[in-house]
Amino acid sequence: MVPALKKLLTPPAFDDETRTHQAYILHHILLALLAVPVVYSGYFFFWERENLDRALAQSIPSELINILLFVMTRKGYVKAASILQVFFFWLFFTVVAVTGIGVRGPAYILGSGTVIVTAGILLGERGSFFITLLTILAGGWMVYQETNGLRFVNIEPDSGMTIWVISSILFMVMNVVQYLSARTVRQALRRAQASEIQYRSLLENIPTTTYINGLGAEALTTYISPQVKELVSYTRDEFLKDPTLWKKILHPEDRDKVLAENERTSNTGDVFQMEYRLITKDHRVIWVRDEAILVKSKDGTPLYWLGVWTDITARKHAEEQQADLISVMTKRTTQLQTAAEVSRAASSILDLEKLLSTAVELIRSHFNYYYVGIFLVNDAKTAAVLKAATGKMGAAMLSSHHRLEVGDSSMIGWCIAHGQSRIALDVGDDAVRFKNPLLPLTRSEMALPLISRGEVIGSMTIQSEVPSAFSPVDITALQTMADQIANAIENARLFTERANLVSELEGRNAELERFTYTVSHDLKSPLVTIRGFLGYLHQDVKANDMMRFERDLSRIANAADRMQSLLNDLLELSRIGRIVNPPEDISFEKITRETIELIAGAIDETHAMVKVQENLPFIRGDRVRLIEVIQNLISNAIKFMGDQPEPRVEIGTTGFDADGKVILFVRDNGIGIDPQYHERVFGLFNRLNPDIEGTGIGLTLVKRIIEVHDGRVWVESQLGTGATFFFTLPIAELA
Amino acid sequence: MIGEPILVMLVEDNVDHAELVIRTMEEHRIANRVRHFLDGQSALDYLFHRGEYTDHHHNPRPHVILLDLRLPRVDGIDVLKTIKEDDELKAIPVVVLTTSEAEKDVARAYYNHANSYLVKPVGFEEFKKLMDDLGFYWLGWNTHPDIKE
Repeated sequence: MVPALKKLLTPPAFDDETRTHQAYILHHILLALLAVPVVYSGYFFFWERENLDRALAQSIPSELINILLFVMTRKGYVKAASILQVFFFWLFFTVVAVTGIGVRGPAYILGSGTVIVTAGILLGERGSFFITLLTILAGGWMVYQETNGLRFVNIEPDSGMTIWVISSILFMVMNVVQYLSARTVRQALRRAQASEIQYRSLLENIPTTTYINGLGAEALTTYISPQVKELVSYTRDEFLKDPTLWKKILHPEDRDKVLAENERTSNTGDVFQMEYRLITKDHRVIWVRDEAILVKSKDGTPLYWLGVWTDITARKHAEEQQADLISVMTKRTTQLQTAAEVSRAASSILDLEKLLSTAVELIRSHFNYYYVGIFLVNDAKTAAVLKAATGKMGAAMLSSHHRLEVGDSSMIGWCIAHGQSRIALDVGDDAVRFKNPLLPLTRSEMALPLISRGEVIGSMTIQSEVPSAFSPVDITALQTMADQIANAIENARLFTERANLVSELEGRNAELERFTYTVSHDLKSPLVTIRGFLGYLHQDVKANDMMRFERDLSRIANAADRMQSLLNDLLELSRIGRIVNPPEDISFEKITRETIELIAGAIDETHAMVKVQENLPFIRGDRVRLIEVIQNLISNAIKFMGDQPEPRVEIGTTGFDADGKVILFVRDNGIGIDPQYHERVFGLFNRLNPDIEGTGIGLTLVKRIIEVHDGRVWVESQLGTGATFFFTLPIAELA
Repeated sequence: MIGEPILVMLVEDNVDHAELVIRTMEEHRIANRVRHFLDGQSALDYLFHRGEYTDHHHNPRPHVILLDLRLPRVDGIDVLKTIKEDDELKAIPVVVLTTSEAEKDVARAYYNHANSYLVKPVGFEEFKKLMDDLGFYWLGWNTHPDIKE
């Protein structure tokens, strides 16, 4: 029984908070009103039995309505119950007033007031206003009826006792209503406070900084959450004291675009959304994401900017790292690609010169370097000679036979001497760098050794216009390429060497064939004479023809002499290929003048004028053999003067050939040589004119000696216009 | 044929060898006449009646040509080629007489239509025998074409 009653006295609860609150208020008001008819009827029963009928007539319907509303409230029809409660409550007091003493009684004065207050709390201000209006109109209507005598009013007031009781009941109802209204306000306040604490703690604990800025481009900061100290090391107070502080700490590179966007969004009211850098109080650079919306009132008036700063430095750093990684990968890909192309060139190009020029251009263009060049060490290992280089400056240096001494006087020299790579990241600071006026833009330089089979065969120079252009990774990649190039150089060298060997062998074979031919023809020839005339000597003796005997004998002697000189010549020729004096740098002019002195007798006999050009270059070779060359050519020239009245021989140079060898010549104004014999004149024992003495070995010797010096020899002549014998020789190494 | 004067053209730059050939021929009465030329150019001039040899009567065409291969000015092979490329001269038998035993020379001679290739032997008796046989074969047994001037 008791729990059921207790449950009945507990206000109902619903899912909807507003409805629960409304039901709570209605529940308490109804509880209070349920007690009112009981107390009211009880008073009349005990003290005013004569009015009990009227009191019961008022109380019973009221109580029935109260019970109905109570049930409705528990069933959840809170809104409808509220409206009905206010309406019946008002109707009750109005009926009491109309049937009682009208506007003079407590039913109208206090009852209607209580209804107005109750309507306020149950139906809100509009319900309260409506009831107030109804009450005023009802009161006015009652006064009008009364004044015009349309209705009889018992003007005798209720007894003091009655008024006191009724008033007390109404006071208690008002007290309940007041309690409920105060409770509602208190609850709302508490909820608001809790909510504010919740939101504030949310706002001031999330890892972002929230701020409120005023309107306009010159917006001032009016609120900023305390996390800002963690973000930029400035405190919130510093921000609030200096409302333009945020503009001051913008990164200089980002300031303009941030302020521009700020102005744009201030004008348009668009969402402000940017990522930019800030400089913190302790001078760090941080990245923030700034998002702000323009908060407007209900009628659309802009109020303020509400924004959030999020620290995205870590993300930005990650992005930068990723970008760095991509750049490293790209570079590595380029390196690999270049290495592959260099490798392909290295394996497919056997011509050394072409290989080197391809390699330097590949490396320069792929890595966007300023200049790339390859030096190879000379045979004496004293100097590095530029063999391939990029660009116009490279071509200029190649044509001037640019060379650097091996040793510490240049980076290349150092690199070759030590067999190690060397880097000058800002060549201005590296004392050993060879100052090169042709490469004025070089800011960093690297020299890599070219090592083949453990021997430094050259060096590659790589120069960049950028200071500190080479990282250790670059060096590794480029050194790999340098190794490939070194191997390719070695391969090309071996190939050239092999080709040279083959051609030398072919030459030897041809020579052997010529030799066999010579033996079978030229050497046999005097033998035929000797043996033939030996037979005739017998006949001469038998016939006692002493004159013919003498003649035949001298034929035999001459043939023997000739055989001897042929044999001597052959011996001489064979020596050229074997005995080689060590090559030396020689003044060609000096040995020419020496040779002329040596054969001055023969020259004087022919009255020939021999002229030697001034300042002939220094050449490199076997001094003794080269004197033989000059001697043979001058002798040859004066031998074939014919009947030239003013025989002249000129010795000089016409410059350099494509291989960088000096072209020398011996020119005469003698009988000349028909072009069809230009090749044959150099053949062994080939004599064009049987009237001229000699075995025909001279030009063969010249050809042989020049070929041993890696030179070429040829003749330019027309019959009757003199002849010019040209030959090429290597220039002196320390020219 | 008998009693007809036979003319041999000898093209030889080595005077000693020429002397040996001429002397041996004379001893064996192989030829009535031998005309000796020291180089290829003068031999061709004779055959084509050029220069000093314009008189046809005094410079008749030879019945056989003995030709050395290595000659000054115009080489023996070039002389051979010129003869064999000429419609009239190509009928004249050309016997190459040289010291060279090189296969290359033998081949070049025959490819240029040499009629015979003889290597000068080293030795008096051998030389005489060769010239003897040569005389009998080319100037005795061999029937010569009737060469028009």
